[in-house]
Amino acid sequence: MAPPAQSQRSHSPSQPSGKGEVSDLKMQLRQLAGSRAPGTDDSKRDLFKKVISYMTIGIDVSSVFSEMVMCSATSDIVLKKMCYLYVGNYAKYNPDLALLTINFLQRDCKDEDPMIRGLALRSLCSLRVPNLVEYLVGPLGAGLKDGNSYVRMVAAVGVLKLYHISGSTCVDADFPALLKHLMLNDPDAQVVANCLSALQEIWGLEASSSEEAVREREALISKPIIYYLLNRIKEFSEWAQCTVLELVSKYAPPDSNEIFDIMNLLEDRLQHANGAVVLATIKLFLQLTLSMTDVHQQVYERIKAPLLTLVSSGSPEQSYAVLSHLHLLVMRAPMLFASDYKHFYCQYNEPFYVKKLKLEMLTAVANESNTYEIVTELCEYAANVDIPIARESIRAVGKIALQQYDVNAIVDRLLQFLEMEKDYVTAETLVLVKDLLRKYPQWSHDCIAVIGNISSNNVQEPKAKAALIWMLGEYAQDMQDAPYALEGLIEDWEDENSPEVRLHLLTAVMKCFFRRPPETQKALGAALAAGLADMHQDVHDRALFYYRLLQNNVSVANSVVNPPKQAVSVFADTQSSEIKDRIFDEFNSLSVLYQKPSYMFTDKEHQGPFAFSEELGNLSIGSEPADDILPAQRVEANDEDLLLTTIEKEENRAHGNNDSAYNAPAYDSSLSQLAVSQTDGELLSLDQTVPADAPQPSSAIDDLFGLGLSIAPSPAPSPPLKLNSKAVLDPSTFQQKWRQLSVSISQEGSLSPQGVAAMMSPQALLHHMQSHYIHCIASGGQAPNFKFFFFAQKADEPATFLVECIINSSMCKAQIKIKADDQSASQAFSALFQSALSKFGMA
Amino acid sequence: MPVAASAIYFLNLRGDVLINRLYRDDVGGNMVDAFRMHIMQTKELGTCPVRQIGGCSFFYMRISNVYIVIVVSSNANVACAFKFVVEAVALFKSYFGGAFDEDAIRNNFVLIYELLDEIMDFGYPQNLSPEILKLYITQEGVRSPFSSKPTDKPVPNATLQVTGAVGWRREGLAYKKNEVFLDIVESVNLLMSSKGSVLRCDVTGKILMKCFLSGMPDLKLGLNDKIGLEKESEIKSRPTKSGKTIELDDVTFHQCVNLTRFNSEKTVSFVPPDGEFELMKYRITEGVNLPFRVLPTIKELGRTRMEVNVKVKSVFGAKMFALGVVVKIPVPKQTAKTSLQVTSGRAKYNASMDCLVWKIRKFPGQTESTLSAEVELISTIAEKKSWTRPPIQMEFQVPMFTSSGLRVRFLKVWEKSGYNTVEWVRYITKAGSYEIRC
Repeated sequence: MAPPAQSQRSHSPSQPSGKGEVSDLKMQLRQLAGSRAPGTDDSKRDLFKKVISYMTIGIDVSSVFSEMVMCSATSDIVLKKMCYLYVGNYAKYNPDLALLTINFLQRDCKDEDPMIRGLALRSLCSLRVPNLVEYLVGPLGAGLKDGNSYVRMVAAVGVLKLYHISGSTCVDADFPALLKHLMLNDPDAQVVANCLSALQEIWGLEASSSEEAVREREALISKPIIYYLLNRIKEFSEWAQCTVLELVSKYAPPDSNEIFDIMNLLEDRLQHANGAVVLATIKLFLQLTLSMTDVHQQVYERIKAPLLTLVSSGSPEQSYAVLSHLHLLVMRAPMLFASDYKHFYCQYNEPFYVKKLKLEMLTAVANESNTYEIVTELCEYAANVDIPIARESIRAVGKIALQQYDVNAIVDRLLQFLEMEKDYVTAETLVLVKDLLRKYPQWSHDCIAVIGNISSNNVQEPKAKAALIWMLGEYAQDMQDAPYALEGLIEDWEDENSPEVRLHLLTAVMKCFFRRPPETQKALGAALAAGLADMHQDVHDRALFYYRLLQNNVSVANSVVNPPKQAVSVFADTQSSEIKDRIFDEFNSLSVLYQKPSYMFTDKEHQGPFAFSEELGNLSIGSEPADDILPAQRVEANDEDLLLTTIEKEENRAHGNNDSAYNAPAYDSSLSQLAVSQTDGELLSLDQTVPADAPQPSSAIDDLFGLGLSIAPSPAPSPPLKLNSKAVLDPSTFQQKWRQLSVSISQEGSLSPQGVAAMMSPQALLHHMQSHYIHCIASGGQAPNFKFFFFAQKADEPATFLVECIINSSMCKAQIKIKADDQSASQAFSALFQSALSKFGMA
Repeated sequence: MPVAASAIYFLNLRGDVLINRLYRDDVGGNMVDAFRMHIMQTKELGTCPVRQIGGCSFFYMRISNVYIVIVVSSNANVACAFKFVVEAVALFKSYFGGAFDEDAIRNNFVLIYELLDEIMDFGYPQNLSPEILKLYITQEGVRSPFSSKPTDKPVPNATLQVTGAVGWRREGLAYKKNEVFLDIVESVNLLMSSKGSVLRCDVTGKILMKCFLSGMPDLKLGLNDKIGLEKESEIKSRPTKSGKTIELDDVTFHQCVNLTRFNSEKTVSFVPPDGEFELMKYRITEGVNLPFRVLPTIKELGRTRMEVNVKVKSVFGAKMFALGVVVKIPVPKQTAKTSLQVTSGRAKYNASMDCLVWKIRKFPGQTESTLSAEVELISTIAEKKSWTRPPIQMEFQVPMFTSSGLRVRFLKVWEKSGYNTVEWVRYITKAGSYEIRC
């Protein structure tokens, strides 16, 4: 087999257009098309190879389509395969030409050689041209009933391909039912497996629109099917076993005997050479025993050895995948690997990602008995040549210190790091020492002695610098030259790029000032002056705030800046336990690696950290056009309101800087325009009803002063609750209120599938709710998660209810959060809301 | 859904596409560009094998000078995807005969496309067994096994074998001489602290087999592992010192091994595939015999001079010997001159690796060998204590030795025609990651 001629060509950085070559090829192919001379196939092969190699490197060879099709009349199977590949690649973009191929593919589907039948069927289904689906149904139907398992195997996947091109054609031809029949009866395991994969996908996608599909999907995890598949588990290929095990893990056996039966049957799968099978089995075991605590523990013990084997065998990438799972497990059961910590010692040549996970494992498994060894080992890495790993190791030591009670030795080690005199080591250590001091103030004496010797010139990284400055301020009385160190730093104010450091510097100088006034006074003045002139808004604001505070009352200022502090006992966990549980449910998938549940990275909606702000900005804002409403009930914008709006705006902006989820910068301008345009109409409306929105801006002011919400009157709830039919709220007020109020009721309910289907056209839901005087302010999302924001007002008073409603269409679940000005009425409102939703089968 | 890969790409180190196979339409055609832009051309490369870009996740592995990239758009099973790539590469290797690199791919791209069609359909892994695939995908590929004339003997069952239950062996094999080769290959991993205490030490071993046997033989393998022996004789054996009984931490088997029988009777019995395969893998952490002891002393004499003294002792049987012993002793970057003395083998300074490389072709058991070196350094002003000593690394192979002490007690072959077989057993221990801190 001669190497294809393109190898030299593609070495040149600019790939040739290949125009000349392509037309040459076209000529040659045309000559060969009709020829029946011996040796034709060989020359065809060379030409086809050239075409394919051009195609691979990205040269457009679609112009030889008709010639390729003409040449395809051959009995040479390799030629056929190349031709199928070519056709599959270009058919989509040349639907007219694709029609040419239908003929010969259909003919091949009836070939006597099952291999050819299979190949042709596969290619036919891979054309992906919507208007050719009618030609697919016949061959697919025949393929599913073919006497040869190879053809049936291809046909099963073919049905799925057809479904993706045209779902209705697939369902109308009753292929899913055929697949189900095959799955339950075919003697060939691979056919069964392909049917299962196809059915899972088809029912999963259909479930949102058809109730039957939901039933069918449920039926897949019913006892008869599960047992049927389990009994054949050993016939399946390793990949198909993964699919089956995954399916079984969704099955909930009714009693514990059944659980033990399944586990006994599958225990040997833990010895399978394919790590994917082992992991799938582990998932199944863990899911089965979730409700049986002691058995669950035994499962942990049982899976330990296989997991450790998986870590140490296979490629680094595989180890990485397994280690991520180990990490998840160890977070749930920290004792699990406590005695096996040596397995997580890093090897010198391992890639970064494996080392990093191993360090996390070492951190997680550290307990009283092994801390000494682990920390000793971590200290070795801190001296590592590999700087990122050295940093990670130091962080790991710090995390262990924060977990443990006996930190004595660790503090010493940390302080020794500072003596290594390497920038990055010092930087990481400083950040850690700061956190340690917040938790264990009793160590301040030892730490301060060492920290005091560090020159701030040697610390460049913002985080570390901020930590050092914090310590200088916090322990100003213990550190001899704290004021002078701070003074030095303030002199370099202009060169300090990080606002974070400048903020810390301001606070530290303030703290220092109250402890050692005479020495710090000058520095404080300089710092406040520099801060007031600072371009960064936050720095400026903080400087101004301190300035005013000092001006107002010095002793109050002291109690604001230097309040008595309590040691931090537990640092906040970044992930809620709910999220962790969801990740655990999705064991053996990407979720574990990304450490977030799948909806966060597969749904478009969640691709940002929290994309709601854009949602409010871009999607149907204020579903009712403003003109429909009586002017009197619009936002009453008198002078006071105008003033308040600016405050709101500032608040909005500040929140934007804090990455708050609910900022919508686009509103600022529109809002003020709205407000301005309304100033003329204001007098008219003053004497009319109480302005609907008036309490809200004022509550914003209360909030700013930390007075809490007291303005909204709370009369005794008078059932039946009546809602204002013409309630008005503008989006920014909504956002603001949403921020301020706490959730008064949070509920979850299930919907009937028909209801969900009806909701799929969102306007229907919105109109329906509106008829109940509940108005939608924003909605968005993509299948299966939709989010709606509603609001309503009481008929007789300006108390507002805010609702966030998340509907998951695939699980038929609705999640409702209600916030209310008048907490006492929220129960009544919730009942009202649910009765409104009951049209959609809310239970 | 185990994998449901949307596309698979093979790229060379420059990012040129060698092979692309789109299985699904749910990812755009510009996925390669995304991979190049966001992974290959950034520092991200090599920091994590799984990355998310846009709505898609990329799994990539580098194998010699090729990147294999799998793109998925759903929440896929990662372990399965990587295993699939590993298996696929093994399959390609068995077709190309050894190497898997850019040239091999360029020379065989038609074959690879053919294989990619068979091993994955619409993103779902299908049959990856080389045994079966080789039946109907041949490098010549002139005819399919089905189209052969009905008089041809070995094919009637071919249809069953393509997808059938005993996926790993076809019927009707016949050899003149029935032979079985069995290799126990162990790699011993060690991490020793500078004070000479063992921080971590384990053995990962595998049993490789090469079978040239007629018919459908049933094989039974007996090892001196603890569980197997206990089960067999019901005698409680003492924890091993002489390497009599071995405690295996964990075992995994080739799919041909009857696991139910292993669990109930503790015997390894199987119908082997034809040709070469990996029968089992195991892991041992207790009672590991280290073949070499390394005793380093490194003295830094002032700023510009270092004295290195490394003694290597072989602690396996006197009649055995190790082959291809390489000791890599790290030295600082600013090394200027070295003078080396060794009692056996050859040593030199390798500037590109910042190492003294000491090679001993044949190292007999129960002996020792020393290297002493004087290293002169260029004096630098900037870095005072910058040299963090990487560990000494060692490579070796010791034939007829197992670190774990595992031995084959018997290998029985049973076939209904009752032919005689010749069995060959070999042992070898290699260095895995053998690191000694200094």
